[in-house]
Amino acid sequence: MRASSRRKPLVALLQPYLLIAPTLVLVLMFNVVPAIRTVNDSLHKPARGLNAAGKPPEFVGTQNFRDLFDHGHYMGSRFLRAFRNTIVFALATVTVGVPLGLLLALLFNHKQPLLGVWRFAVFYPSLLPLIGAASIWSFIFSDSIGLANAVLRSLGHPGLNWLGDRNLVLLSVIVVNIWKQAGYFMIFFLAGLQNIPRDLYEAASLDGAGEMQQFAALTLPLLRRTLLFVIVIAFIFAFQTVEQLQALGEGGPNDSANLLLYLIFQNISERRSWGYVNAMTIVLIGVVLTFTISNFLLFERDEND
Amino acid sequence: MNGAENILGRIAALARVFIAIVFLIPLVFTLLVSVRPEAQPVTKGNIFFGSELTAENYERALVIAPWSLHYLNSIIFVAGVLVVQLVTVTGAAYAFARMRFFGRSLLLMVILLQLMIPSGVLLVQNFRMINILGLFDTRVALMIPYWGSAFGVLLLRQTFREVPIELEEAARIDGANLFQVIRHVYVTNAIPAYLAFALVSVSSHWNEFLWPFIITRSQEIRPLTVGLNKLIKTTDQGAFYGQLMAGTLIVIAPLVILFLLFQRQFVESFARSGIR
Repeated sequence: MRASSRRKPLVALLQPYLLIAPTLVLVLMFNVVPAIRTVNDSLHKPARGLNAAGKPPEFVGTQNFRDLFDHGHYMGSRFLRAFRNTIVFALATVTVGVPLGLLLALLFNHKQPLLGVWRFAVFYPSLLPLIGAASIWSFIFSDSIGLANAVLRSLGHPGLNWLGDRNLVLLSVIVVNIWKQAGYFMIFFLAGLQNIPRDLYEAASLDGAGEMQQFAALTLPLLRRTLLFVIVIAFIFAFQTVEQLQALGEGGPNDSANLLLYLIFQNISERRSWGYVNAMTIVLIGVVLTFTISNFLLFERDEND
Repeated sequence: MNGAENILGRIAALARVFIAIVFLIPLVFTLLVSVRPEAQPVTKGNIFFGSELTAENYERALVIAPWSLHYLNSIIFVAGVLVVQLVTVTGAAYAFARMRFFGRSLLLMVILLQLMIPSGVLLVQNFRMINILGLFDTRVALMIPYWGSAFGVLLLRQTFREVPIELEEAARIDGANLFQVIRHVYVTNAIPAYLAFALVSVSSHWNEFLWPFIITRSQEIRPLTVGLNKLIKTTDQGAFYGQLMAGTLIVIAPLVILFLLFQRQFVESFARSGIR
């Protein structure tokens, strides 16, 4: 390598930059520049009035954000509902989905008959397109012929309007998300479990520790890092998985199950809300960034241990 | 083994069966509803028996959207993303793994920003960027935001670092140029990592919906998920579930079959995708 750089120094000097250039340019174009533009546009409002066409947007400072956090404002009331729903959605996914993923990993870790079948059963949902998964569940939740109501009716209950009742739609969306992601979380726990040395368990059972004690004293503490990691990515995913709403009530009725990114998606065609859409994106980026940075910090700290 | 553990083992065995059934119910019912005549209500007692089998739901689902075209578009989309990614990721991963140059850590940090601000949340501005580039409603518009992959760079950089430097030195002595070194020393020794990256890339883009929906208008280039969306929107509330389930199965079948064939590789790839 040193010999070649003496022969053609300039080419050798440029080589690394040429190798990186495509990735760097693409990340700048589709991540960095758009993020900066989002900040800028969130502080502006499109010009209004009859002669607005062609006029530059007007600088409004934090007005867009103040409108978004104002219950009385037409966009604020929508945003606040979607924001609240997104938090509920994320918390529910994490508090139910992550422990379920861990349970699945514990059940399907050891060699056993039909292991392939079990793992397929719980993992296939995470491979489906979100919109396909939602389409399947739209039948299960359907009012008259759906499976959920068929079960309820067989128990003597008149049945529920899963996708039409404002108090139930978000719950339905959460159920679909947990069903879809628990198997994916399981994968990380399986990988974490494989890293725990077998002889630790042998030593523990020689000392007379039962399975429950082994879980509490060995497995859980040694999975700490995996657990933290899965919780963080579960949050990050929760803020980005919104496509199921397309088949599960479109965020309605009355935004009662709308999620932040889906509200942004709905508003993209409406040019007049450009400033608001960008301000909402900033809020979303802020939340996602908080979780990704904590992920990096946790990971870095563990690497330095 | 004492009595308590025996009971625990039985509970675990029961839990396995129960959980597997609960998770499989949606798929099983999708299949059943898709082969039942639309007119026969899905009432208790005749969901499994007493119903005729029919292919009419599939026939009607096939008419609503040009599925073979959508299939082709999805294949072109995921393949077009993957092929370019393999090139960009390999070059950058080699540079970051084995070369010393000014600004290395800073440039890596910039690329890692992609993991912090994922393209998915930047829908609005990326939509605008595509319009500025004049690419709206083209295949390139679909693929271009995914051509650079920070995840791929990280994964391969890690793998390349584990390749013994002596192999590269030996190849250099034999007169190999940079391209040959990357191709024959690094790529050859990182095939499992490439496979993991390919599975994650293909399965995530195959399932992409929001971006293709926003950035394309023409049927001719729209992928499967957008076709499925059309089917969902044309299916009247509660009226044509048979046809919707048939269409859904048409869309999800390839990945499910792929997973059945490569189960172990999928599980390992997804595990690697998280452990950076």
